[in-house]
Amino acid sequence: MTVSTKPKVAFFDFTGCEGCQLTVIDALQTHADLLSAVEIVQFREAMSERDEDYQIAFIEGSCSRTSDEARLKAIREQAQIVVALGACAHLGGVNALRNWQSSDDVRRYVYGQGGKLYDSHKALPIQAIIRVECFIPGCPIDRNEFVNALKALLQHRLPRLPDYPVCAECKLNENECLFMRGIPCLGSVTRAGCGAICPSFGACCEGCRGLVSDPNIGWLRAVAVEHGLREGGFEAASRLFLSHELMESEGDRHGKH
Amino acid sequence: MNLQVLPKGALVEWIELLSARYRVIGPKRKQEVVQQQPAGDTQQPPREQYIFGELQGAHELELSYPSTILPPKKVFLPQKEELFSFKDNGHQVDLQLDERRTVIFGIHTCDLHAVLLLDQAFSQGAADQHYMARRANTTLVSIECLEPCSENAFCKDMGTWIMPETFDLHLTDLGHEYALEIGSAKGSELLQNLTNIRTATETDYWRFNQVISAKWARFPYRLEADLSELPSLLAISYRSQVWEELGQQCLGCGTCTAVCPTCYCFDVVDEVNFDLTSGKRFRVWDSCQFGQFASVAGGHDFRNSRAARLRHRFYHKFKYQSDSFGLAGCVGCGRCAEACLVNIKPIDVINKLHRKRVAVSGKRQEVMG
Repeated sequence: MTVSTKPKVAFFDFTGCEGCQLTVIDALQTHADLLSAVEIVQFREAMSERDEDYQIAFIEGSCSRTSDEARLKAIREQAQIVVALGACAHLGGVNALRNWQSSDDVRRYVYGQGGKLYDSHKALPIQAIIRVECFIPGCPIDRNEFVNALKALLQHRLPRLPDYPVCAECKLNENECLFMRGIPCLGSVTRAGCGAICPSFGACCEGCRGLVSDPNIGWLRAVAVEHGLREGGFEAASRLFLSHELMESEGDRHGKH
Repeated sequence: MNLQVLPKGALVEWIELLSARYRVIGPKRKQEVVQQQPAGDTQQPPREQYIFGELQGAHELELSYPSTILPPKKVFLPQKEELFSFKDNGHQVDLQLDERRTVIFGIHTCDLHAVLLLDQAFSQGAADQHYMARRANTTLVSIECLEPCSENAFCKDMGTWIMPETFDLHLTDLGHEYALEIGSAKGSELLQNLTNIRTATETDYWRFNQVISAKWARFPYRLEADLSELPSLLAISYRSQVWEELGQQCLGCGTCTAVCPTCYCFDVVDEVNFDLTSGKRFRVWDSCQFGQFASVAGGHDFRNSRAARLRHRFYHKFKYQSDSFGLAGCVGCGRCAEACLVNIKPIDVINKLHRKRVAVSGKRQEVMG
């Protein structure tokens, strides 16, 4: 028997819907040659074998319980490279909607009297607990971006993500701006890389890939109001995916426009 | 001038004849995808939008289109194009050139002027093989604009509302017929086997002149500065407060550069296969409005604010390109003004800078007088 020299890869899941893992499985169907380049040693969603010897860890889901933190730290200890996979791991995801309320209240709504037994806290991106080398954004992730990121890591490079807004890709697709149809859209502050898939199908961008590094939120809010979105409507729309990022940058934003 | 006349009804036959020999591209309606919305929603239906796309027949051709979302540059410089594939760690390279014979129908004169500028940019120095291959195999059928297409266009100011010296074939709408001017051998080739075409008579020339003359009054001047003053107006406005104000407003989305018919900046990216030794190299559109555009190894960014990036775009359009090619980098098509969500419009910006200068020199004269 020959010992494989391929890099060993493991997938882990925390608080999330597992849709990003499904996208990985989907990517294996179109990019079966991926298995010639790496050995997958742990992937609960797809296989029952389980090995704790791995170099690259892909982590899906947000960290939302005190008890998750030790497991995250153990993964960090073992892996040379940790990748946050998808919006929950990258941004806290939809789960972070609850961060606007007290954790006690949230536990009571969800679990009733038994709420006290759970150790859930705010939904956090895994970067809040452990160091990550890179992330693959999106809800769910884009399969090509996943494949390209893995190739980059195999070449000992960090994946290169766009740091410009979704609008750029939306225009390449020659879409009419959704604002012109009275549909508020977060495309102009959200990181591109998705090919503007939502606006191209007539649905607004909800910001699942996170903010670009220099988002002009103040002016976008003004644009939204100008196009008929009520005051506060922008906040409501942006909380779906950007709760954690917005809360983090709250202090900075007050000084800005 | 050799003027030919073609009845409008003959377009169907013409496009059919051309389609047998060429890939025929022209302005056509864009179909937007509309999501089902809950009752009571205040959404508006999509507006009529036009794009340059491959024509399945004359019925798709919309020659009276106002403007298209993207300019025809996308035919010569696709949003993402394969440059070559490589094997054996790059020791074997297989060049990919697109030499499909193509006709682009219905290009407005502003866009034609823009293509001539792209030609300069891609042919100077080491000519760009990929661009040149597409360009050499493409024939342009331009059409005279008889009305301004939008309140954002300022083609009369930029001198692009009329034909450039170089063209292939140019149409002018005479009502029931088109007048055809032949500008090149490539253009004349398109008329092969066309049965309904005839040489213009004295009366046709008279009508043609009438139509062209009537244009003058219909197109307004919108810039308060003269075209020849623009490079120097910018040269003395580098530290103007205007750029800071616009930088606050700008979303940095790069829409303006995508829709610009003369913006050609690109990035080059490799996509490797899982063997990590073979793959493909692509060229993709880039934008000077993006934060990563002017950053270099070591992390320094030469234009690290939206204000600096926006100023650079205006300088490139109205000064740098005039300096290097003797052609204004802006053709006044108005697409960027139309597409900008925060209403940054070149006419307003130039007029604002100009008014500031006029105000300053007025004050100075008072002092000196």
